[in-house]
Amino acid sequence: MRILIAGVGYYNLRDLSLGPLMLQQLQKLDWPAHVEFDDFSFGPIAVMQRMEDRPGFFDRVVFLAGVGRGGREPGSIYCYRWKSACPSNEEVQQCVTEGVTGVVSLDNLLVIGEYFKVWPAEIVVIEVEPSSEEWGDDYSEPVQAAVPVLPGLVRQAALGPLHRFHDSPYVATLLD
Amino acid sequence: MCFKNLPIEFDSQGKAQLKEGVSNPYTYQVKSLHAEEDQLRTLLAKNGHIKSVDFDPVTRVAGALAFHTVADLKEGKILSANSMATLFRGYEVILKGRDPRDAIFISSRACGVCGGVHATVAAHAMEMAFDIKPPPLGIVVRNMMLALEYLYDHPLHLFLLAGPDYSQAIVEQSNPEIMEKAWRTPAPGANIHGYANMGKLMEDMNPLTGSLYLEALHMTRVAREAYVLLGAKYPHPETIVPGGVSVTITLQTFNEVYARLIKFFDYSKKAAAIWDDLTNFFYDANSRYQEVGSRPMNIIDTGVWDDPYAYDASYKNCNEWGERRWATPGVIIQGDLVTTRLQDINIGVEEFVDHSFYEQWNSHRFKTDPAGNPLSPYHAWNKETIPKPQGQNWKERYTWDTAPRWDRMSVEAGAYARLLITAMAKKLPHNRFIESTGTSLKIQLPRATKPALELEWHVPKTWNAFERNRARAYAIGYTAMVCMDNWQHGMDMLKSGETAVSTKFEIPKKGTHIGAGFWGAGRGFLTHHLVADNGVISNYQINTPSTINASPRDPFGTPGPYEQAVMNTPILEKYSGPENFKGIDVLRAIRSFDPCMPCTTHIHVDGSDRVVSREVNTCACGVD
Repeated sequence: MRILIAGVGYYNLRDLSLGPLMLQQLQKLDWPAHVEFDDFSFGPIAVMQRMEDRPGFFDRVVFLAGVGRGGREPGSIYCYRWKSACPSNEEVQQCVTEGVTGVVSLDNLLVIGEYFKVWPAEIVVIEVEPSSEEWGDDYSEPVQAAVPVLPGLVRQAALGPLHRFHDSPYVATLLD
Repeated sequence: MCFKNLPIEFDSQGKAQLKEGVSNPYTYQVKSLHAEEDQLRTLLAKNGHIKSVDFDPVTRVAGALAFHTVADLKEGKILSANSMATLFRGYEVILKGRDPRDAIFISSRACGVCGGVHATVAAHAMEMAFDIKPPPLGIVVRNMMLALEYLYDHPLHLFLLAGPDYSQAIVEQSNPEIMEKAWRTPAPGANIHGYANMGKLMEDMNPLTGSLYLEALHMTRVAREAYVLLGAKYPHPETIVPGGVSVTITLQTFNEVYARLIKFFDYSKKAAAIWDDLTNFFYDANSRYQEVGSRPMNIIDTGVWDDPYAYDASYKNCNEWGERRWATPGVIIQGDLVTTRLQDINIGVEEFVDHSFYEQWNSHRFKTDPAGNPLSPYHAWNKETIPKPQGQNWKERYTWDTAPRWDRMSVEAGAYARLLITAMAKKLPHNRFIESTGTSLKIQLPRATKPALELEWHVPKTWNAFERNRARAYAIGYTAMVCMDNWQHGMDMLKSGETAVSTKFEIPKKGTHIGAGFWGAGRGFLTHHLVADNGVISNYQINTPSTINASPRDPFGTPGPYEQAVMNTPILEKYSGPENFKGIDVLRAIRSFDPCMPCTTHIHVDGSDRVVSREVNTCACGVD
């Protein structure tokens, strides 16, 4: 069972930097040898091509990102098992267009990876609703408050049984 | 004498000066758009076949672009067009008051494709302002990095963004008769690109599934890897510095770059043959395709790729080092090359905001440039960016883009400008692979897996969407061979121990220093103008190719290049009524320019705790 933990986000945009910044923190913890880490903030097409280099290598990928979807409490952690699903070809094309022209987006990444069949069957997404998308290298207070929960949750998502994760986003705390 | 409209003349030494006896030389009257708009409203009200057609957003382009047209669906004509940049580009505001070196990293974020070139142009502006001259290998490495950046960009345009407009999937819906013809038409370039007929070629242009689409995605990786070998990171390198680059270059680096560059030799041959065949096929199917996206051949470019032994960063000598570039700077007006001097290009550009969401500034701090040439108050060294958000109104203001003009004329920018100007100017210094003949560019492509081939791109008789794309395809070979030539120069330098890649510098803490970076993005013309007072930026102005191409009407009533091109576009698609009108010809016209609006992204929203990190759409339906 080979597992990849990937952060996605923009650097220097406070809460939207959560993915890559948390990744650095997570890498300092003790993990089994079969867990790898990668910063997937460099564009979905490049990520897809990187995954293509190791076809079928990973059995599970855990994504971590600050994702603003609106209507959610800032700092709340949402977790879900991402089920394979591709939108229409027009929408995939738009994702590719954004991807090759510099937009870093978890949703685009998931769609592009799915379309080009680079993802393993097991994908878990952990999102934190941002409060601040301002320039800066620190988190807002609500997101900072969520940070201590994340290492445990990511560990459960990476190493725990997958059936404990729902298919649609739900507010997550540490599972018991 | 290159200026017809600006009040500038040249003395016997070729030095520019204001014409004598002209009071208020740069003033102008704004031509009202009310009459034109009122006439359109009357037509819309009276005729059911005249419709407002909005493309919002324009898809398969980079960033936030919307387009409003009024179309006569009976006559197949576009009566009016308005190009809208729907987000504010705030870099000029963000950069004020900062250390000039920040411009490299912040302006790089203007684009997710052209980040490297923005960083480099910022470095150029500082080099000019602070008198910093990079060593030859530093210049060569920069040349190669930016060639590789273009090699990322050109396939994207040709096969991912504009290309699908010519694919089976699209043409079968818009013009089934052309697709039928395509299956019956042999492809003349079959021996190079491998497609026996045009139908098969167009099938492989299909988005997502076509092998040409997928191959282009792969080629972006090849170029990106080569770039990263030199610049460490793409698209936002942190190795560009005033005075060169901050990387260690070895023979191994060069060898690894070469292993990737060589892949573009064959790809160049294939891309040119494909776009030759596509262009000629469409012209043959219906000669009116030559009108799609057509406009006068008014072209501007700063030139790119510096001669490592000529570039000294100075404004005083920029005419000389500019003309030593691998792509010659210049301006073409109505098909005639009117200048190749960077100073003429620079002093001729003004930026107007009469139909944009900005306030007019009132200062005219710099009456002349550092060489003593007259400068307009609307020139970048004098311009201030004062955003003024408001509702869209076709009669007044309708875009966040400004209206840059050269000699008060609407000119366009593009990668193809490099080919046009370099071919016409015949000033290309001696090099191993590219020859300028006055009417064409000859490009010697070496043998790779396919035999060596001489590509010859000819200055076209008409200027339209197809010729933009065809030239872009030839730009792959041109760019690859400039990179190869620089690679060989770099190898020679390494062998001779000429290994320095940067020059030490200090930012002066006192006094006023001005500089400009003149280069080109993958999509063409790019300038950064810097004014530094006492060690910090007091003014910074960025003029991108899409600022020029997506511009609105200017104060003289002339539409911007997209607008002109769309208004000259005949509607050739087949449709039974407005409900199934797709506007593919309009979209071909717009996309042929390779619109790139991401400079509008990552914008701080004043008074909020938010930075816009991707585009938004604007419903233009209710706009007056």
